[in-house]
Amino acid sequence: MRKILTITAGKILIFLSRMLGNQGTDFPGRAARTLYPGILKALAANIQEEIFIVTGTNGKTTTTNMIASILREKGYTLVHNTAGANMLSGITTAFIEASDLLGRKKFDYALLEVDEAFVPLLIKEVRPRVVIITNFFRDQLDRYGELDHTINLIKEGVRNTDIELVLNGDDPLISHFHNDTGLHCWYYGFAQTIYDSVESMESREGRYCVFCGHELDYQRYHYAQLGQFRCPECDNHNPDMNFTGNKLKMNPFIEMNVNDLFIQSPYQGFYNAYNILAAVSAARLVGIEDRTIQRAIAGYRPRAGRMENFIINGKRTILILVKNPTGLNQTLSTLLYDTKSKNLFIALNDNAADGRDISWIWDADVEMLADVKARIVYVVSSGQRSGDMAVRIKYSGVNPGIINIKSDLKEGIELAVAGAGETNYILSTYTALFECQKILRKLQKDDSKIVGQRQLQA
Amino acid sequence: MAGFVIAHMYPDLLNLYGDRGNLLCLQQRMRWHGHDCRIKNIRLGEKIEYANIDMVFMGGGSDREQGLVYRDLAGRSDEFMARIEDGLPVLCICGAYQLLGTSYIAVNGQVMEGLKFFNFITRGAKNRLIGNVLIKACMDGDEISIVGFENHGGRTFFEDDTLQALGRVIKGYGNNGEDKKEGIKYKNLIGTYLHGPLLPKNPAAADFFLKAMARRRGVELDSRLDDYIEKIAHEQIKNRLLAK
Repeated sequence: MRKILTITAGKILIFLSRMLGNQGTDFPGRAARTLYPGILKALAANIQEEIFIVTGTNGKTTTTNMIASILREKGYTLVHNTAGANMLSGITTAFIEASDLLGRKKFDYALLEVDEAFVPLLIKEVRPRVVIITNFFRDQLDRYGELDHTINLIKEGVRNTDIELVLNGDDPLISHFHNDTGLHCWYYGFAQTIYDSVESMESREGRYCVFCGHELDYQRYHYAQLGQFRCPECDNHNPDMNFTGNKLKMNPFIEMNVNDLFIQSPYQGFYNAYNILAAVSAARLVGIEDRTIQRAIAGYRPRAGRMENFIINGKRTILILVKNPTGLNQTLSTLLYDTKSKNLFIALNDNAADGRDISWIWDADVEMLADVKARIVYVVSSGQRSGDMAVRIKYSGVNPGIINIKSDLKEGIELAVAGAGETNYILSTYTALFECQKILRKLQKDDSKIVGQRQLQA
Repeated sequence: MAGFVIAHMYPDLLNLYGDRGNLLCLQQRMRWHGHDCRIKNIRLGEKIEYANIDMVFMGGGSDREQGLVYRDLAGRSDEFMARIEDGLPVLCICGAYQLLGTSYIAVNGQVMEGLKFFNFITRGAKNRLIGNVLIKACMDGDEISIVGFENHGGRTFFEDDTLQALGRVIKGYGNNGEDKKEGIKYKNLIGTYLHGPLLPKNPAAADFFLKAMARRRGVELDSRLDDYIEKIAHEQIKNRLLAK
């Protein structure tokens, strides 16, 4: 009875929260957990096949969504939490939303994107079969202390279980999971690619051996600290891979073979190649046939904030979520490949979900904006910490005369899209993202109305 | 045009929370003043040629990394301290600041030696002191506000009454969350828990170092920089903290 009441209350709260224009992801779950602390455990019992968890610093959402689209392509039913709602409350909301009022509806799989720090807590309530770890990059450290601590939390959480791990074998910070947990580990990683470099270009996380502390030797870097490494002191090196990405091509869309399976995707960027590789590896472990995997990956398109496109004043406008130095670097490097001149809008918030410490903007290579190839003609810095972002951009070498500060998101976006650039890039941290998306949708609608009226008059 | 050199000590080991922003800030501001400024990375075991260096910067790191740095510096700390006495500008953030004291006592009771430049001690604690900070400090004779972000487990206590804090805590925790002191200032050295990074949104603190560097070389910094954007960033967080 308590279960039914809690589900009913949860569903009402999800509905109300949506009505009020919120994403409605965290609050209903939190309220439900207060009413009935066992709610998540009870609903997780409705999963017939397996529960999969995806965690790690970057690529969680994309990897989870790709696996979900493969399983849906196969016809399975799923519980799947939506972008960013990856703490216990958000996951509880996802289960309540999918459930019927009696809490008895069955699903084949649950596919859960989980914030690193919440993995141990979640495992106490639901028992996953597989935990997929994408990578460990510097991200929002202020919430938990340092990266070592986060990694230990996850190791503690999975120890003494029968969980199987799917791990990025190219990440030196993950390679000791097998030794430290004794769990069965599956590894994925890339063979040599034409995009590799012998010199590292980015932040230094994980460049030291996790066993002995000696500096690692890299034969090649694929992307950031991901690559082929060996410790000269204790011989720690990449594990043998179960799933190898080879013949990677980005023209600019991704093509590669995973072992012998040919994969094509409308996504771009090496970081997305890793997401695809992780998703294909997980799908193969479940035993999904090749054709289904190929079709699902080829048909999987970018979503909210992952390079979502709008047309405003006839100009292509791209909304991109940025939340840590690596993500911002990825975004800035795509700006360099776009030859059009640009108006740039960046919203920086410092709510809990963004990370209270905004100093990460100084760890990103914002200097790319000052590169002539970036063709930045107008900048608007916005959000709660618009001043800090503007300072960061100023010190990158961008002419201070083109930098504007408008903390209000709507005024900021309107100012930015009125700039002289041929295309608009709208970057935002997490808690400003959905507001930005709403503003852009509205501007796009107004834009098409005006175009419509002009056509009528003509 | 003069050519200045700032030594970045152990960039591979001590470089947390955007600390390199302090270097970018000093370098750009020196350039805007019309002088060249180069960053020289110093790694473990590498000789420090003080005669060719105008300033030293050290950032924060995890316990393991701080241990490596201590072992590297301990054998040659006398010369470093002599240069500090001589007025060498030095900025030490968080872990590097803790290293300047006598010791660090971890939660489990383990004692890590410090360089013993100053008589203060740091005690580890389980819960970290995290959040935005506002302090009042005195720089080049003016009282100024300084804003930043702190994130440290260690609590630092002065054991010598003559030590001068960088500033007085208005909002936030500072050295230990108890005595309202934040950081240390001694001649041209500043040690502090403030990340953020510190210098870009506190241009007065950046100018303290620029002026000290210039003075030691007999160079005049005559141009005034436009700090309009920096001031907005500074006021934004300061006003928010004061409104609480």
